[in-house]
Amino acid sequence: MRRFPVNLVLGAALAGSVTLVALLSFIWTPYDHAAIAVTNKFASPSFAHWLGTDQLGRDVVSQLMVAARNSMIVAFVSVVLGGGIGIVLGVYASARGGWVENLIMRVSDLSLAFPALLFAIMLAAVFGPSLQNTVIAIAFINIPIFARISRGAANQVWTREFMLAGQAAGMGRMTLTFDHVMPNIAAAIIVQATIEFAVALLAEAALSYLGLGAQPPAPSWGRMLSDAQTLLYLAPQLAIYPGLCIVISVLGFGLLGDSIRDLSDPRLRRER
Amino acid sequence: MLDVSNLSVRFGDAYALRDASLTVHPGDRIGVVGESGSGKSMLAQALMGMVPESASMSGILKIDGTEMTRATEAQWRALRARRVAMIFQEPLAALNPLRRVGTTVMEPLRTHLGLSRTQARARTLDLFEEVGLPDPEQRLAAYPHELSGGQRQRVLIALALACDPKLLIADEPTTALDAEVAQRITDLLVRLSRDRAMALMIISHDLQVVARATRQLLVMYGGDIVERGETRKILSAPFHPYTRGLLAARPRPQLARPVPGTKRPRLPTIPGHIPALVDLPAGCRFSGRCPAELSRCRTTRSTEFRTGTGLAACHLLNPAERSKS
Amino acid sequence: MTVLLQARNLRRTYPRPRTTLFQRPEPLVAVSGVSLALERGETLGIVGESGSGKSTLARMVMGFERPEAGQILFDGTDLNAVPARELQRLRTKFQMVFQDPYGSLDPRHSVGWSIAEPLRAARIDNRPARVAEALEQVGLNHGDAARFPHEFSGGQRQRIAIARAIALRPALIVADEAVSALDVSVQAQILNLLMDLQEDLGLAMLFISHDLAVVAAISDRLLVMKQGEVVETGATADVFASPAHAYTRSLLTAAQVAPATGSSPASNRKVPA
Repeated sequence: MRRFPVNLVLGAALAGSVTLVALLSFIWTPYDHAAIAVTNKFASPSFAHWLGTDQLGRDVVSQLMVAARNSMIVAFVSVVLGGGIGIVLGVYASARGGWVENLIMRVSDLSLAFPALLFAIMLAAVFGPSLQNTVIAIAFINIPIFARISRGAANQVWTREFMLAGQAAGMGRMTLTFDHVMPNIAAAIIVQATIEFAVALLAEAALSYLGLGAQPPAPSWGRMLSDAQTLLYLAPQLAIYPGLCIVISVLGFGLLGDSIRDLSDPRLRRER
Repeated sequence: MLDVSNLSVRFGDAYALRDASLTVHPGDRIGVVGESGSGKSMLAQALMGMVPESASMSGILKIDGTEMTRATEAQWRALRARRVAMIFQEPLAALNPLRRVGTTVMEPLRTHLGLSRTQARARTLDLFEEVGLPDPEQRLAAYPHELSGGQRQRVLIALALACDPKLLIADEPTTALDAEVAQRITDLLVRLSRDRAMALMIISHDLQVVARATRQLLVMYGGDIVERGETRKILSAPFHPYTRGLLAARPRPQLARPVPGTKRPRLPTIPGHIPALVDLPAGCRFSGRCPAELSRCRTTRSTEFRTGTGLAACHLLNPAERSKS
Repeated sequence: MTVLLQARNLRRTYPRPRTTLFQRPEPLVAVSGVSLALERGETLGIVGESGSGKSTLARMVMGFERPEAGQILFDGTDLNAVPARELQRLRTKFQMVFQDPYGSLDPRHSVGWSIAEPLRAARIDNRPARVAEALEQVGLNHGDAARFPHEFSGGQRQRIAIARAIALRPALIVADEAVSALDVSVQAQILNLLMDLQEDLGLAMLFISHDLAVVAAISDRLLVMKQGEVVETGATADVFASPAHAYTRSLLTAAQVAPATGSSPASNRKVPA
C-alpha cells in the first residue's frame, strides 16, 4: 500500500527551511547580529524586530540566523570529517577481514563506550573551548559510528556473487572496494549521515550551552539558550526561540534521515 | 468445489492471467506448469484471493458455489485455510524463526476452530504424524532452524492442513529441496490428497514433480492456459507447439554424447525469449516464437479444441483451418 | 590432448561452532580425498546434491579457498604454491560462471563495465572492442554494453555473465550451477551456447550441477560426489549405461520424467524427509 510519506515531507520541509535560512544569513540578515543597542533592550516583537531584541538590544532574528549557519557548519564539517575517516576504516576492515578487521572494530567499540560529552569537555579543558575543538570532538564521536555501519554494509556486499566474480576477474580487494562496495553502500551511508547530522546539531548546541563551543560574539543556539537562562523570569521568550530552533532542526534532519531509511529499507525489491 | 471461468488478472492493459477457466472436484490432482511470466503463480494467488492491490480481477471464481471475484478481504479470510490453503517454495522463509513450530501450527487451530490449548496440541500431534514428521512430540518444541528442509516443508503442510482445506495449492513445493527429499514430499502430497479426498494443485516448473503427483495438467504460457488434459498423456504426446517445445528443451539423460570425440548433440530450443507482460502479442501469446504459426495467430486467440489427449488453444486444431490446407 | 587442470587428494574442512566449553566439535568435512584431471577442450561434469562438497571444490579450483591438503595444478603450476602476483596472472586463464544471474552482476554498473572488469584487471587495452566481441559471441548485441543488468531477463543476464568469463579468452571455465536458476527453455539455450563456445574456443569446462540430466547433456566425463567424496567417475555414456554406485543409480532414476501412474509409490509409507 502506498501511503503519503508524512515524515519525509515534514522532515524535508523543516530541514530545508533551516538550511535555506542558514544560507540566507550569508548574504542578508535584518541587522548586524552583533550590533548592540542598549537603549532598545528586551524589545517586544515588532515590525522592525520580528522577534524582539535581547538583553543587549541585539536583534534576535539576526542572531538566530547566524547561529543556524554556525551550527550547520559545525555539524556538516564534523560529520563529513568523522564520517570520512569512519567509512575508510569500516570498508578497509571489511576488505581485509581477519585480525585487522577485529582490531579496528574492537577499538571502535571501545571508543563508542567512551562518553562523548566527557571527551569534548576533556578536549576543551586541554586545548581551550572553541568551535574548532567542538568540530574535532563531534567528528571523533562519529568515527566509530560510521566505521560500524559501513563495515556492516560492506560485509553484506562482500557476500554477493559479483564480488566473487570480481575476484575471479583478478581484481584486488581494494579495487573491488572502490568499484563495488562504495557504490552499493552509498545509500545506507547517506541515510546515516543525515541522522548523524541531526545528532551533531544537538551536540553542538549542548557543548555551546556548556560554554565549550562557540565563543562570544559568535552566536550559537546553545549559547543563546544558556545566556537566556539567567533571564528566564524577565524574558522567557529569549530561551524559547533558540530552543525551538534546536527542536525544529534536529527534528527535521532526524525525520528526513529516518524516512529515507524506511523508504530504502525493503532492499529485496527485485527488478524483474 | 472450485469453478473458474474466464478469470483474468490485469495490471493496466497487461494481462498476467487471461480468461482462465477450470473446475476442480474433491480429490483432483492438478499440475500447473509454465515458465516465468506464464501466469501460473498469478492463478494460484487469484484462487487464494491474494492478487496484488494494483491488479484488477474479472471473470467468475466460485468456491463452493460462492462467487468470490469481488469478495472483500474479510470474506476471503473466512475462506482461506478452511477451504483453500497454500504452501510455498521456501519453507524457511514461511516460518517465523523465533517461534516453536508447534506453536505456529496450533495458532490457526485455536483462532479459527476455537480449540482449547490441549485440544490444539493433540490435533497438532495428529497432524505431525499424518505428514510423517518423526517424533512428533519433540518436533512440537523445535524451532524452524533445528529442522531439515524436508521437515520444514512437512511442518508447513501440517499448518496448511490444520483447518481441513478442500483444496491445497502447492506453489513450487519442492524447488528448494534435494531430489530424493523432493520425491518424498511429492508422494506425501499425493497421499494426503487421497486420504482426505482433498483437491491438490501443484504449481511447478519441474515436470518430474508434476508427472509424479498429478493426473491432470494445465500448461500455461504468457498468462494463458494453452493446453490441458491428462498429465500422462500430455507428457507423452503434447500437442500445443509451446508444450512440445518445452518438453523437447528439457535435457534428458538419453541425450548424453554417444561417443567421446564426436560432436555433442544440441538441445532443441524454442527460439527467442519470453516477452515481458506488456510486450505479449495480442492473439496467441506464443505467436512470434511458434514454429507452426499461422497468419491469424498474432491477432486472434484460438478457442480450445479437442486434441488426442485433451484440449489445446491453437488455431492448428481448427477444422476450418485444416480444411484450408 | 594434454592435462590442463589436475587436482590431487583435496581436503577441506570447516570448523563447526562450539556447543560446549571444553570440547572442540569435530570439523565439518566438506571435501575429502578428491582427485580429478581435466584435459584441454574437455568438459567434466560434477554432480551432487547440496552438501556434497561440489561448490567447495569449485571454490578451491578457482583459488578462492585453499585446500588443507592436496594440490591443484593448473597447466602444471601449483596454484597454492605460487606468489600472489603469479596467481593473479594465472587467473586470466580460468574464469567462472555463477549460479545466480541476478547476483553475479553489480546492479550499479553497466553491462559493458562488468564484462570489461577482467580485462581491466589484466591490463588489456582495446577493451570496448573486446567487450563487443564477447557480447556477440554470446548472442547479444554490442550495443547492449551501455545498458544495465535490470534491463535484461535472467537468461540474458546469464549470457552477460558468460561474456564476462570468456572476455579474457581463458582456457578453462568453471560453471557452478550456471543454468539451475533458469527456466527450462532458457536453460536449453544457455547449455547450447556453452557447447558452441566450448567447441569454437577450445575451452575446457568444469560443469557443476545438482541436475544429472543437465550435466549429462554437456559433459564428456562425469564425477559423482556425495558427502565430500567422489563415489563414481567415468565417461558420461558409460556411467549412464552401467552406473556402478547405488547413489548414481538413484540420481539416474530421479532424473527421468516418470509418468504419473495410477498408484502412488508412497501411498502406504511414511518416510521422514
